[in-house]
Parts: sequence; C-alpha cells; structure tokens
Amino acid sequence: MLSPATPTRSAAVGSLPPLASRRWRSPAPPFLPRAMCPPQPPPAWSTAASKPTKSTTAERLRLGRLAADGLSYSENFIVRCYEVGTNKTATIDAIANLLQEVACNHAQSVGLTRDGFSTTTTMRKLGLIWVTSRMHIEVNRYPAWGDVLEIETWGQQEDRIGTRRDWIVKDCSSGAIIGRATSKWVMMNQETRKLQRVSDEVREEFLTFCPRALRLAFPEEDSASLKKIPKLEDPGQYSRHGLVPRRTDLDMNQHVNHVTYIGWVLESLPQRIIDTHELQAITLDYRRECQHSDVVDSLTSLESEGMEIKGINGSSNGNPSQEDYCQFLHFLKLSGSGLEISRSRTRWRLVK
Amino acid sequence: MAAAAAAAAFFPTPSSSSSASAKGSTPLGGGGPDKLDTRGIKSKSMSSSGAMQVKANAQAAPKINGTRAGLKTDVSKTEDDVLSSTPRTFYNQLPDWSVLLAAITTIFLAAEKQWTLLDWKPKRPDMLVDAFDFGRIVQDSLVFRQNFSIRSYEIGADRTASIETLMNHLQETALNHVKTAGLLGDGFGSTPEMSRRNLIWVVTKMQVLVERYPSWGDVVEVDTWVSASGKNGMRRDWHVHDSQTGQTITRATSVWVMMNKHTRRLSKIPEEARAEIEPHFIERSAILDEDSRKLPKLEDETADFVREGLKPRWGDLDVNQHVNNVKYIGWVLESVPMPILEDHELCELTLEYRRECGRDSVLQSLTGVNARCAAAAPPETGVECHHLLRLADGAEIVRGRTAWRPKPPRSPGEIAA
Repeated sequence: MLSPATPTRSAAVGSLPPLASRRWRSPAPPFLPRAMCPPQPPPAWSTAASKPTKSTTAERLRLGRLAADGLSYSENFIVRCYEVGTNKTATIDAIANLLQEVACNHAQSVGLTRDGFSTTTTMRKLGLIWVTSRMHIEVNRYPAWGDVLEIETWGQQEDRIGTRRDWIVKDCSSGAIIGRATSKWVMMNQETRKLQRVSDEVREEFLTFCPRALRLAFPEEDSASLKKIPKLEDPGQYSRHGLVPRRTDLDMNQHVNHVTYIGWVLESLPQRIIDTHELQAITLDYRRECQHSDVVDSLTSLESEGMEIKGINGSSNGNPSQEDYCQFLHFLKLSGSGLEISRSRTRWRLVK
Repeated sequence: MAAAAAAAAFFPTPSSSSSASAKGSTPLGGGGPDKLDTRGIKSKSMSSSGAMQVKANAQAAPKINGTRAGLKTDVSKTEDDVLSSTPRTFYNQLPDWSVLLAAITTIFLAAEKQWTLLDWKPKRPDMLVDAFDFGRIVQDSLVFRQNFSIRSYEIGADRTASIETLMNHLQETALNHVKTAGLLGDGFGSTPEMSRRNLIWVVTKMQVLVERYPSWGDVVEVDTWVSASGKNGMRRDWHVHDSQTGQTITRATSVWVMMNKHTRRLSKIPEEARAEIEPHFIERSAILDEDSRKLPKLEDETADFVREGLKPRWGDLDVNQHVNNVKYIGWVLESVPMPILEDHELCELTLEYRRECGRDSVLQSLTGVNARCAAAAPPETGVECHHLLRLADGAEIVRGRTAWRPKPPRSPGEIAA
C-alpha cells in the first residue's frame, strides 16, 4: 500500500543533539498528488506481508491513480512506436498489453501482490490464484503513435464463481471512448491447476475495493461480450499449424502470456482480411494454459458477414451509418493431442 | 529566499528581536531547555510543513550558502549592540542568540541535505512533464533524454526486463529524438529532405552492452545522440541508466545508412539531408572499448545448434512492411541452448544486419558456442556465442555475436511482496 513517507521527528524534547546525529528525513515531495495514495485506510487483510517493501520510483512517478472513491483505477499511457503496426496504428496486442498492465497496477496499488498473481493473503494461504476465463475487447478507433490513452479499470462480482474486470479506454486529448473491454476471472488452485469454488469470505476480501453497484463497460443487453462461442471442428476453413511459443512469449510465471493467444488466433486469418479490415471486437475463452514446449494449431472459419446499420452509440459522429463487417470463429488447440487451448470470435469492419 | 522567510519568522522585525535578546528572558531569547525546545520544534515544523519552502530552497540551493553568510551578517547587524557585549560562543553552549543561529543553521542544513538526497534531484520541476514520457532535449546539449517505467508485460521469463524491451526503448527514443529535434519527415525517422527523395534509414550494425537488467517498476532514463559514421553513415549512441540510482544499465551504439525505399538500394547522403542532420551531431561515444572484431559467418558444420521454420508473425512487421529489427534478436536467441539461457544473462550483443526479410520469409537460426572463454568476466563461467540468421536458401539476414555472464543472484524480497 502506498503511504506517504512520513518525516521522522527527531527528539522533540530534550536538548538539541549535535547536528551530525540528527536524522532529518525528507517528507514526501509536496507535489506528489495525494490521489495516488488510497483515500481509505487499507483493508485489514492488506498487512505488511502484502505491502511492497519500498516505494519504487515508478510508484512515485506512477501516472496511475485510484479514483476518489477508491473503487476504480486510471492510468495514462503514451503509444510507443514499436506498439504500432503496419497500418500506423496501435496493434490489438499492444492494447491488450496495456489493459493487462493497468490491471496489475490497480491490484498492486490496493495492496495485492506484485508477482503477477494479484492474490490476497487468504488466497495465498489456500494456494489459489486468479486465471482469466474470458476476455472481450472492442475497439472503435485505434490510436496512433504518440497518442495518450487514459485507461480506467475496476473489478466487480460476476456470479458465485468468478469476478469480472472491466476497462474503458479513452483518448486523453479528446476524451472520446476509443475502446472498452471486459474479462471474467475464476480462482484456480496453483498446485492442482484445477478450478476451485471459493468461500464467500475469500471473495469478499477481494471485492472490498470493487464497486457494489453494478457498473459495466458493456451495459447493452445484446452485448457481444456475453455471446457463447461454439466449438470449431477440424479442419476449419483456414488454418495454421505448428505455432510455437517463443521465449519472449513467456510471462514471469513461465506460462504463455495471454496476449500471445491473440496473435495466434490471427495467424490463421487470410491476409486479405487483415489488409482490408480493421479488428472491431475480439472475444476469447481460455480453456487451457500453454507452456514453452507446446505446439499449437490455429483454425479459423467464417461465421457471418454482411452489412450492418450501426446505431448512434456505435458511430463517432452521432449519425447512424452502414458498415461492412465479417465475423469469424477461431479455435486454438494443441497439435498432438487436439486438446482445446482457447476458442474465440473476431469481428472485422471494412476500412479499405 | 525561503530561508530568509524562515529567519524572518524568528525575527519579525529586527528591532523587536534585538530588544528581546537584550532582555534575555523572553521566549525568543530564553536560555532554558524548554524554551529551546519550543524553538527547536518550531524550526522543524518550519522545514517539514513548510516543505514548499524547503523545496524552494532546494532549487535555490546554490544561493543558500550565499544567503547564509548574508543572513549571519544580518543577524549580527540587527544585534550589534548585543554582540558587542556577549562573546560569540559555539552553538551547543547555547547562549541566547546562538540558539537562534543554531535553529537557522539546522534549517539550512536540512534544506541542503534534502537537496542532495537521492530522491530529490534538482531537476524535479520538469519531472511532471517527462512523467508523460515524451522525452526532451537536455538543456544546452544535443542529447535527447526520455524515461520509461518498466511494465509488467515487458518482464521476461527470468523476471527482469527482456533484451527486446531494452532495445524497444532505444528505438522509441531514437524516433522521439528525431521528432523533438524537428527533423521528422513523413515515415518513421526520415527527415523531410529524405522523404522527398524516398530515402529511409536502415541499421547496419548494432552493439549493446548490458550491465544490469532492470525489474518491474524500475524507471530507466535513456540518453541518445547522433554523430557521423564515415562519409555516408550516421552513428547513434545510447546510454541508459537507472533513473533513481544513476547506475548504468545499458550502453549501445549503432550505425545507419540511407536506402531508397523503392529500389531498396543504399544511397549516399544527399547534401540537403546532411545539412539537416549535421547540426545535431556530437562527438561522444557510449562504448569506449568497442568490440570491432570481425564476425565470422557460421556454416552448418561450425554451428552447434539450429532452429528452423521461424516465420514472422502478424505483429512483427513495422510500418514499412518489414520485420522490425528488434524481432531479429528474439530469433537469434531461439537457437541458444537452454543451459545458457537459464543460468546466464546476456551482457553483450553485436549484430550486423545484412539483408531484410518480409512477411513471407522462413528463417533458420544458427548458434555456435565458443569454448568457455574470457570474453565475459569472470573467466571459465562466461560464454561467447556466434549467430547466424539466414533464409532457407542460405541468404544471410543477420550475423551476430553474444557474450553471456552467470546470472546475478536475485534478492528474495525483490519480486513478490
């Protein structure tokens, strides 16, 4: 938990000791925005055990901050040149990475661990970690190099088993919402790698800093984020076999980073789609983790295509517009055993 | 300035203070310990709650010494009549006026100490600007500086920032330097005169020395500058250090030449383009002991490890439809054997870019491990490798050399809370 460095008061009573032995500790720099420190006292469970041992420079400089009510977290990011793809705008990978980063920073700012697991003390005692079961990202407008993004994120109770994390991505200069995302998380036993139902008490710990009132990034009832994804059978319309995780794909826990899956899903898409369309939405259901030694096959089939009248909400100028779109189903599986790693759906809009 | 204000708090007006001191038994002039404490506490609260004042001191630090002397003289001036009668004693013997002096002195010293404390660098005022990571030209020089905070997804399997992350930062600062210097034409990195002639920069050589890998949450500061390399090349150097400790993280140098983006042929630097970039050249080297040994070409017979079937992925292509040169490093490391990767960290990397590759290329990565040699200290545990990236038909893409040293032990509390 970030706490402002408190100046140690040297002996206020008694005679002045010689200068050399006096400890004058610098107080926190006055211009450090107080909003960086959580406004509420830390929850009882975030004891010293889960506090970072020192306040790093990044934490002090951190552009991220908890909202005034402490229930959501926002951070700004500048789009870097290497995050930009062939069409001069940020890739979906880059955006997904930033979503993951702001989620980690949120968890860390409320006192959860920094090892990538975002676990509470009780979860660690029970050997539980969070895993993503579904991720849904929608992008209305891709940012370009040098654009500043403001990403806000918050957690929420989903149902008896899992929690949800939502994001809203805004362009800092215009304030326009350029993307939204939602994800569903469940608890898994670290040793057995099996999903586990948890007691209300454990989940309560985590939900202490989540808003109780429902707040959804996708409030619409027919949101694509809720649609079930059917399983794609072999062979699929298009496929790419023999995809291998690179060493750079592994996260700090030696598993293939979730964002790599997005790259694999897109590997089997025909190039002409990628050249002429822009990814509007992607939904991924994660079923199994992947290690460095696995070999993966990626399958794709067209699910639907056509023209859609977009409502006022979906367009930037407030007028309903027509849009050519196509939608694909994807399937990632282990090469040898055929076991499912993930299934997904992507929706593309025609841009050229 | 603020120091003067602090002093003024003790001496609301010169006349009243001198009269107080003359009396010798008022709160200001009292000699008992409790009176002293009141003053002591006062001075502390002055400097801590008045952190703003202290901050002003920090910025005006060089002047503090000047005003200190000045102030002492003022003090002595206002209390001339007292001074002439009371001998000047050492502050901890505590006659009336020198207790006041002691209090003032401690404020100055506290301010000075704050100024020199590591997390209170004088360039604080513009930290809010580069907290946004746009970077800036360092004043009175041609060096461009930018800060990066290491993000969670930039951490590799060994829990430190990967070499690709470090290289990405170098690439970003290079482009931002060109942009901030007003030299950005259309297309990445080309100046206006270059864009007019369809010229782009391509890297031919890169050498990176890593002294320490940063961890999640560290903030690195990257300095970069350019100079000439021969008649038709440009050299770009980088020096990366830890923003908090000042410790060097990486030193790197690279050589660039111009190429026509349509014909893909190398080109001389046209005079107009030279006039654009030459004013920004500095003669300064990041790497003083540059390793200029020739890089041998590996063959099937001399290579120890081979990894085939490497293909550019969807996200590997840059704006020019070519594989981003940082991606080559990942491929080079694909054929390095696990025992080296697991127990060692890359400390030196030299790459020669021979040919570009596009989205349909299929590459092979070859590695030859030198018998344990003294390339990296300490000997017997350092390893040196040679590398080759080539197409299936043998066309050479990148030639390289790496040096590895045993991984330093990581302190236990560093990663998990």
